[in-house]
Amino acid sequence: MKRPTAREADIALLLEGTFPYVSGGVSSWVNQIIRAYPEYRFALVFLGSRREDYNGFRYELPANVVHFEEHFLYDDLPAREKPRARAGDEPAFEAAACLHEKFTSGAPLPEAMQAFKSVAHAMMPGGQLPLDDFLHSKRSWEIVCDRYRKYCTDPSFVDYFWTVRIMHAPLWKLAKVANGLLEVKVLHTISTGYAGFLGTLLHQQRGTPLILSEHGIYTKERKIDLFKSEWIRDNRNVFQRDPTELSYFRQMWINFFEWMGRFCYEAADPIIALYEQNRLRQIADGARPERTTNIPNGISLQRFAPLRAARPEKVPPVLCLIGRIVPIKDIKTFIRAMRSIVNQLPEAEGWIAGPEDEDPAYALECRNLVQSLGLQDKVRFLGFQKVDDLLPKIGLTVLSSISEALPLVILEACAAGVPSISTDVGSCRQLIEGLGDDDRALGAAGAVCNIADPQGLADAAVALLRDETRWQAASRAGIARVERYYTDDLMFGRYRTVYEQALARAGKGD
Amino acid sequence: MPNAQFAVYAFLLEIAAWFGGDTLGDHADAHLLWYLVLHGAASLLLASFAILLLPPALTRPRRPVMLLLAGCSYAVPVLGFLGVLGGIFILRGYRAGPPSPSFESVELPDFDPHQHTPGGFRQSGLRAFLSNASAPTASRMGALVALQYVSGRVATPLLRDVLADPSEDIRLLAYGMLDNQEKRINQAIDEELGKFGTCQGEAATPAQRPTMLAAARRLSDLYWELIYQHLVQGDLRRHALAESLKYCRIVLRHEPYDAALMLRHGRLLHANSQLEDAAEAYYKALALGLPATRVLPYLAELRFDQGAHADARRLMNDLSIWAALPRLHPVIQYWNPQ
Repeated sequence: MKRPTAREADIALLLEGTFPYVSGGVSSWVNQIIRAYPEYRFALVFLGSRREDYNGFRYELPANVVHFEEHFLYDDLPAREKPRARAGDEPAFEAAACLHEKFTSGAPLPEAMQAFKSVAHAMMPGGQLPLDDFLHSKRSWEIVCDRYRKYCTDPSFVDYFWTVRIMHAPLWKLAKVANGLLEVKVLHTISTGYAGFLGTLLHQQRGTPLILSEHGIYTKERKIDLFKSEWIRDNRNVFQRDPTELSYFRQMWINFFEWMGRFCYEAADPIIALYEQNRLRQIADGARPERTTNIPNGISLQRFAPLRAARPEKVPPVLCLIGRIVPIKDIKTFIRAMRSIVNQLPEAEGWIAGPEDEDPAYALECRNLVQSLGLQDKVRFLGFQKVDDLLPKIGLTVLSSISEALPLVILEACAAGVPSISTDVGSCRQLIEGLGDDDRALGAAGAVCNIADPQGLADAAVALLRDETRWQAASRAGIARVERYYTDDLMFGRYRTVYEQALARAGKGD
Repeated sequence: MPNAQFAVYAFLLEIAAWFGGDTLGDHADAHLLWYLVLHGAASLLLASFAILLLPPALTRPRRPVMLLLAGCSYAVPVLGFLGVLGGIFILRGYRAGPPSPSFESVELPDFDPHQHTPGGFRQSGLRAFLSNASAPTASRMGALVALQYVSGRVATPLLRDVLADPSEDIRLLAYGMLDNQEKRINQAIDEELGKFGTCQGEAATPAQRPTMLAAARRLSDLYWELIYQHLVQGDLRRHALAESLKYCRIVLRHEPYDAALMLRHGRLLHANSQLEDAAEAYYKALALGLPATRVLPYLAELRFDQGAHADARRLMNDLSIWAALPRLHPVIQYWNPQ
């Protein structure tokens, strides 16, 4: 696919692990936003882990994308040439040590941000703190040793040493990306994390206005990964361990992502959440309340309303989970629920429509679970499918995620007249049962259950599928709710204002 | 009022019994006979009237109740009459609600091991603390993390409880811990299913048989582990039971004298509510040489489930003569108070 390049653009979208390589709710939203403003020239900066983790574009780049560049943070990390002995710049390392002291002591955010500014400046290509110094200098070694002795509760220095290196090395790559980026008027990052960090660096170096739109909460999602990850070692024995503490390395990673998030919150204005609960979470994590706002997702009714006519007269006993096959979607709970659903409704089928390539190990686990529960004939893995083709053929959409924000798939299902069963995460309850009194009066567009509760999910689904009257009422409620509260016109209008204000600030030099 | 005529006739007959005897002249015996017959008839009529006013539940059996009412009126002239009438009206005014037709059965409370385990890790109060949403989240997170050093059987129900917690961090940590436990077992199941399949399952050649049987034994263990650690519930629990039972039987067909597996067979049947078959398997396990301390507690539990409490007590008595595990001592003590 052709990769456009340009020397300047209006808005740079900073994308981490999403559009255009990965399909899903956030990517669809990015696609929607770019196409909604043909008058702006967009530059896309994609950040990924390793090149081999991504296979080709999932979306065609819209015509107003004038520039595309991609960077893989964990590629080329090993040194290409034999390192040579180096002392390391004393003042630069002093500033880095001072910054870390501020992290440890929990200093106020503006103070830490000030310390971070000087370190970030030194990390830029040509600065006093190059990657080679971090990796190979004597001073760097001394700081690592010193902090290990002072703070590390894990006995393994080797694990500590490599954790520090792997954690920090991508930051120099981001500094390089920031240094070489084309001229843009506004930066728009779709998450905190590495993309947010890049936005923070650019905002500091160039003074470009930074907009942050968070769908999920990045630090929270990283925490989920870290709680579940088994590659993080804990070498403490029974005498060294405080049973109430996470392993030191796990906590180190969590702190790292939390601080990256705080820096991004400090630089970004406005900070946009999809719904109130997430906005409050952003404030709790360090965002200034006056900079935060909510802009819910919206969908195109013209696209989904015609699907209602394509539905068969009788409700198909098909439950469909539309989403990437990744742990955060908790596909396994859906599969387990299918065991119970099939016991009660032998004609029921479960479809899983989503790409499997993002986490092949998890996809294999899901397939094995289908086999060990004897559901080979009842659960089908369809791979990536067009939602428009799928929705008229199914009786219920299921969302068994352990974390969501404001999932587009529920809105799309509602618009097509398909009720949803969802776990009680993010704004799912608000989408299904309504938020205010007027909204709730429209009725429930499905049912909500607890996370990781296959029996609860199964019972809710069977109750809806068996009761035609209730199913029809849920279908009508969903249509009414989407038509009243979640259309894309409203969302585009609000983002237009956000962009106009940011561009105006850019014109004034922020 | 139901059949008030009875009451009127009874009243008139009683008046006639007292005063109508004067027409018979001076014959005292005739007087007495007149009185006794009419008073008896009046008493019967009054009883016929009174029984209609009684709550239906109190009128059965009908004839003795009638005789009792009539007897009271007959034996104590005038006052008996008034007493029966007064009693009937008091009963109507103050009667209690209908008695319940039979005893209600209540569910047995689940045995709560985490509240009970003596010594070691102090878990008492942990459930209450974890579910207390107003306690600081950081402290609850710490308590939750500490659960990773507690056995899965105890930790799982606690983790499951907080999956619906208002704090998302708590929910996600609990989910991550539960998922890790379950994932380890399921990965092992997948591996063993692969080995079992490679040996063509039960159609294994004699050369493949030892590998096939080892895989089947592991599969039965692993599915049982899912149940034992409370990682599966509802239909999934039933499925895991059926799978564990299937593989257990495959091994038992080839190794019928394996006492430990026979005990597992019994426990699976027991969990599946096939109590008679489970008892049979327990006795077989005993006959195959398994120590009584390992089998009798389950057998006693089974008898308890069947409602045979005397048998349960006898078995616990038997157990006390054996050197039972220390953790069983309080249970044995409970059943043998002396």
